[in-house]
Amino acid sequence: MTRFLKWLKAWIIDAFKITDEVMRGKAVETIEHEVAELDNIFGILVLGAFIGIPSPPIHITMELLPLMDKELNIMLDKVLTAHDPLGHLFSVLGID
Amino acid sequence: MEPQLLFFIGKGGVGKSTTSALTSVHLASHPHKTLLVSMDPAHNQRDIFDQNFSEKPQRVSENLMIKEVDTDFWIEKYLKETTDQIKETYKYESAFNLQNYFNVLQFSPGLEEYALLLAFEDTLKKYGDQDFIVFDMAPTALTLRFFSLPFITLIWLDELLTLRSQIYKKKEIISKIKIAGREIEQDRVKAKLQSLIGNYEQLQQQFLSDTTKVNLVMNNDKLSFSEAFRIRQKLSDISIIIDRIVINKLQQDENTAEIEQEFKEQKIGRFPLAANGLSGYAALTEYIKANKNAFQET
Repeated sequence: MTRFLKWLKAWIIDAFKITDEVMRGKAVETIEHEVAELDNIFGILVLGAFIGIPSPPIHITMELLPLMDKELNIMLDKVLTAHDPLGHLFSVLGID
Repeated sequence: MEPQLLFFIGKGGVGKSTTSALTSVHLASHPHKTLLVSMDPAHNQRDIFDQNFSEKPQRVSENLMIKEVDTDFWIEKYLKETTDQIKETYKYESAFNLQNYFNVLQFSPGLEEYALLLAFEDTLKKYGDQDFIVFDMAPTALTLRFFSLPFITLIWLDELLTLRSQIYKKKEIISKIKIAGREIEQDRVKAKLQSLIGNYEQLQQQFLSDTTKVNLVMNNDKLSFSEAFRIRQKLSDISIIIDRIVINKLQQDENTAEIEQEFKEQKIGRFPLAANGLSGYAALTEYIKANKNAFQET
């Protein structure tokens, strides 16, 4: 009986942890998407010279470029969803 | 004590190199430790002093040293340092073939004035023990871009920092919810932006400081007058005040009333025309002896 209670307690705790994790993940999903968009905008602003849009004085780009590998990857990822940005946004917001 | 910085600016051909050379020789003979820096890609100082100069200052008298800024050297050095850093970061991204981009970057607009700024910073760092550092500047367009670079850069950096701070704040919220407040990694880009802002604010302060004096060189003619007028306007847009007007190549009894009227707030230096031109240290010294009044306001 005690063993069963212990097992039940552990199961409830695990279930709670998983639910908590899922809920936390759900709660920040939209903000995470927003952050990725902001990172992308930041990347485009700084690295605009590489894709032919107005950009800051070239030395700012050069100073920041070595630190911006993550932003560069986000920019490249965005290219993949660029053909359907609304579809991507709707999936983030959970709209079918 | 901080060195006094004297910039000689103005339209091409008005005599920035000659007047800056004369002023440097005058200061050195008084006797102030003086460094004359040629920032003009045309590098006329070698013709005036009749000897070659390079990035490494060369002594021409007991108190006077002269150096020429080589913009190509600074652009190359800067690009190499940045490329090395980038290669380190993007080792795994060799597919990007970033090297190709970098070969093109050396021709980017804006690098020339940035190279001048790097040379300027380097000069201040290495030769801060001088009493005077005299800068013989490039013609108007490049000089104005040089002076406005820290101001424009700061506008961009402030905007980028605002956006970056916004991103960092949101990342903090995510970390609070998702990983129960565990501290997120320090944002390297934000830290770099802050350090760049500190650096450019210092440069901006240097340009606006009392130890920096801008000498606007002009001739007593209409074209030179109009350009001097526009230079003053452009510099005042970024809060840089002209300290002295240097009227060069003056003929005897020439009327300069119009210039004096327009530039009432500035000191006026009058440099008579050197009949046989000026070439060599001895000729410069002779000119200074014969025209002591020209240097009263220095």
